[in-house]
Amino acid sequence: MNYQFKWSVLWTGQSGEWLLSGLVVTLELSALAWLLAVGLGIASGALRTVPFLPLRVLATAYVEFFRNVPLLVWMFFWYFAVPPLLPASMREFLLAHSLEFWAAVFALGVYSGARFSEVLRAGIQSIPRTQMEASVASGLTTGQAYRYVILPVALRLIIPPATNESVNLLKNSSVALTISVAELTFQTRQIETYTAKAVEAFTAGTVIYLVLCVCLAAIMGWVERRTAIPGLIAAGGRRSP
Amino acid sequence: MRGTTRTIALALSLAVFAGGVGSALAETTLEKIARTETLIIGTRTGSPPFAYVNSKNEWVGFSIDLVEQLVLPELAKKLGKPIALVKKESTPPTRIPLLTSNAVDLIAGTMTDTRARRDSVDFSITFFVTGAQFLVKKGSPIKGIKNIDGKRIAAQQGSTNAKIIRERAPKAQLREFPDQPAAFQALVQGQVDAYTNDGIQLAGLKQKAPNSAQWEIVGDFYSYEPYGMAMRRNESDFRAVVNNGLMEGIESGKFFEIYDKWFGPKGELPYPMSAAVRQFMLYQVMPK
Repeated sequence: MNYQFKWSVLWTGQSGEWLLSGLVVTLELSALAWLLAVGLGIASGALRTVPFLPLRVLATAYVEFFRNVPLLVWMFFWYFAVPPLLPASMREFLLAHSLEFWAAVFALGVYSGARFSEVLRAGIQSIPRTQMEASVASGLTTGQAYRYVILPVALRLIIPPATNESVNLLKNSSVALTISVAELTFQTRQIETYTAKAVEAFTAGTVIYLVLCVCLAAIMGWVERRTAIPGLIAAGGRRSP
Repeated sequence: MRGTTRTIALALSLAVFAGGVGSALAETTLEKIARTETLIIGTRTGSPPFAYVNSKNEWVGFSIDLVEQLVLPELAKKLGKPIALVKKESTPPTRIPLLTSNAVDLIAGTMTDTRARRDSVDFSITFFVTGAQFLVKKGSPIKGIKNIDGKRIAAQQGSTNAKIIRERAPKAQLREFPDQPAAFQALVQGQVDAYTNDGIQLAGLKQKAPNSAQWEIVGDFYSYEPYGMAMRRNESDFRAVVNNGLMEGIESGKFFEIYDKWFGPKGELPYPMSAAVRQFMLYQVMPK
């Protein structure tokens, strides 16, 4: 193989500008989808453990439906299948305001929400049943017990697996390029188109994703330490550096 | 769609690969083909009639026929043994990496020969000539590249057309899709106002589309797109075999028979070859 490296393609021409705009779109998309995913995840994760069957069934249906269909299909679903169902005026408005971006936010957020939900459920179910019983015995309603006792502990317990899911979400945002969202992976391909230097372009993209994910893990690690409750199992073990 | 996952996988493997590239075993393409007794081509699955999967689920097309009937016999003659053909899917963003990473030996699909690309790959002689146009719903106000300002235009990612639109019509809202079916779907649904690609590809797409009469191809060619087969750089032995195969075909008339099979009056997509293009093809043939 006689591939000639030419790393200068990454800082000459418009490459820097493209990578930066791709990075911004990836961050915006991931941040909005993350908020949606966490909201849906907390709601459905908690509902899957409540002592009321219809709500459990509803939450289970959401999780199983959304996490068991490939993300790519969800991208097409929100981009192609949803807009025709909307009123014409709303559809026109969306088309004029980056429909593909919002479709990607929903696809990624709703899909990841189903995954976050399972993480939270595992956290809630790892809390001894006696905590719930003690809460109810001391006069709290089920809602109050979740709000003041169960969720605050469960959310602390699940930070490591939630970090995992967050990193996944960030990387999964690259699938949005299939519905023409000009995110980071799209822009690395763009550089490839203009310069025909694929290895350099993809390497730049890889390094950026790597840095983003390491930063994300560091932030989540900081949150974990800041919110740790002294003496609680979550803070008891040896922490990673 | 299928291309996406592959590109991602490719990007990762390339990044890992990047370190070891320099020391990779120096085997020429011809040696590789002789050793494995196979020629691996990168082609398309959704670009009728150049390369596509037909209604009988066979992977066929004009570009594939050229390889099978002109290049392969020449290769077998040169190496003195029969060579099998293996087809792999390649899309505009993946085809050059597929070549440089040795995953395929020849790109035979709908790749335009450009000077920028010649920095990375070598091209055979030109086997088809077309230019970019727009596919729109009948009655659309879009008539060509001059009046697409502010309009949402779909293009194929990594294609020369997208690049030209960006330069010549910066006010158009370009939406780039990884493959033709997704871009066409966006047009069908009204997500975009027009889809731009090489005229011949649009004709192929229009013909295969349900409600074919609903679509219209508009605009003068705003680019010149000579299609060539791409291969790794500095492999002149291999390139000579590919070119000789094509030249023999043009000289003997076989090339024009294959052209007629696909683009003739009874072909898959009627698109008669103009006298000028025919002459150009003949002029490409070097004397024996």
